Amino acid sequence: MNEKDIIICRCEEVSYEDIVHLTELYQCSSREIKLRTRAAMGYCGGRTCRNLVDQIVSEIKNEPPADNIPLTYRPPVRPIPFRLFGGE
Amino acid sequence: MNQLVIVGAGPAGLSAAIAAAKNGVNVTVIDEFMKPGGRLLGQLHEESNGIWWNGVDEATNLFNEAIEFHIQFQFETSVHHVKKHSNHWDIQTDKGMFKSQALLVATGAAEHSIPLPGWTLPGVMSIGAAQVMANVHHVKPGHHGIIIGINVLSIAIARELKLAGVQLESIVLPSCNLLNKEASQPGVVFQKLAKLAHLAPSPLFKMGGFLTNKLSFLEKLVVRSFPKNGLKAWGIPIQIRRAVIEILGEEKVEGVKVADITPSGVIMKGTEKIIDVDFVCIAGGLYPLTELIGVTACPFKFIPSLGGHVPVHNEQMQTPVEKLYVAGNITGIESAKVAKAQGKVAGLSVAHDLHYLQDHNAIDDAVQHVKKMRDHALIQFHPDINKGRNELNGASITN
Repeated sequence: MNEKDIIICRCEEVSYEDIVHLTELYQCSSREIKLRTRAAMGYCGGRTCRNLVDQIVSEIKNEPPADNIPLTYRPPVRPIPFRLFGGE
Repeated sequence: MNQLVIVGAGPAGLSAAIAAAKNGVNVTVIDEFMKPGGRLLGQLHEESNGIWWNGVDEATNLFNEAIEFHIQFQFETSVHHVKKHSNHWDIQTDKGMFKSQALLVATGAAEHSIPLPGWTLPGVMSIGAAQVMANVHHVKPGHHGIIIGINVLSIAIARELKLAGVQLESIVLPSCNLLNKEASQPGVVFQKLAKLAHLAPSPLFKMGGFLTNKLSFLEKLVVRSFPKNGLKAWGIPIQIRRAVIEILGEEKVEGVKVADITPSGVIMKGTEKIIDVDFVCIAGGLYPLTELIGVTACPFKFIPSLGGHVPVHNEQMQTPVEKLYVAGNITGIESAKVAKAQGKVAGLSVAHDLHYLQDHNAIDDAVQHVKKMRDHALIQFHPDINKGRNELNGASITN
């Protein structure tokens, strides 16, 4: 196994190489990477990979992080069962 | 309706609860874990005066005091959303909704990962997880392990694991990729270690600490001549010139592939070897856990010395959002003693804002106590904490 196969988003199985390649190709934001790859959109809500995606994008584009959180948090911020929202 | 709901029963949350309740505020504390204390529960270290800091005892004392003041606790409860209404907060949890006039978010910190080939194998865990297994659940994370990432947290926890009877091969660096540029540079890591010289028993570290304050070429010399097998701290080799390049195993961790690295972190070809281990700890450092603040209207500030994005707040621990407060590591990575002192400030601020506080000097005194705790902290997680704090105070005024 080599470096490019490292998994970054476990829920959606997105690799380090996918994120590096697409960021270099499109010179895009971490939000765009999220929408293109589904990284940080899995059932955990990006709890592990959110920072990793931000960091890779920020390194490749050589832009220091801004004060605003790049990948916004949305409720629920914890994985919860659907039954909490009603129904059976 | 509650007057104050606190999310997080760590040192900040507990001391805030006590400070507010002492002044007559009715308080409920919510935590995901089954018992109080937060990360205090894992802590066990020797202070410079030779006295041991036992986080479990500290947590028990705070909890007992909280019970005396009739504070309500909701354990094993996860908050997944908070919403501000004109006169109250809705706090949604997996055990139902709580309503409260004021909300204090004291959710602490989370750990950065260091992705490497094989890091998703069972048996790879964060250093904090190993600490919880050993010190809270009294379960060994494995028989013989290796720690990737050399920093204050990993060295402190390595010693705790050793005290728990766990064998550790060594503490090494991760190999370099875009995600660990600093953590994989022997020079950068050494510089940070040297600042911790007062904690480490090795005389060479102390010499390193002296040298790095003077001349950088001597520092380079020290890094270049750093023994390949590392320096031992409490019998555990710390190897700043060795990196893990891959974690190996079929179904679970069976070993790691390591290699020697140059002073700038480049792998030296031909030095690769395989070491058998049955668990791997990844120590990437801490960052403030801000998710719940992220779903409110509270602005953030990016301050590297505080650990990343932190909610804007003032010295009274008030955020720009009315009746929303923060305390502890969510405001920046510091020691449990600072968190506890900040909690007291937050609890008093809530009591003040709800018109319960009689002693109006109490908040100022508590704010001064936070500064004192910060200056006296045994472990400064970052050398520029004070600068970061000032920047944040500036931001809270403009907001």
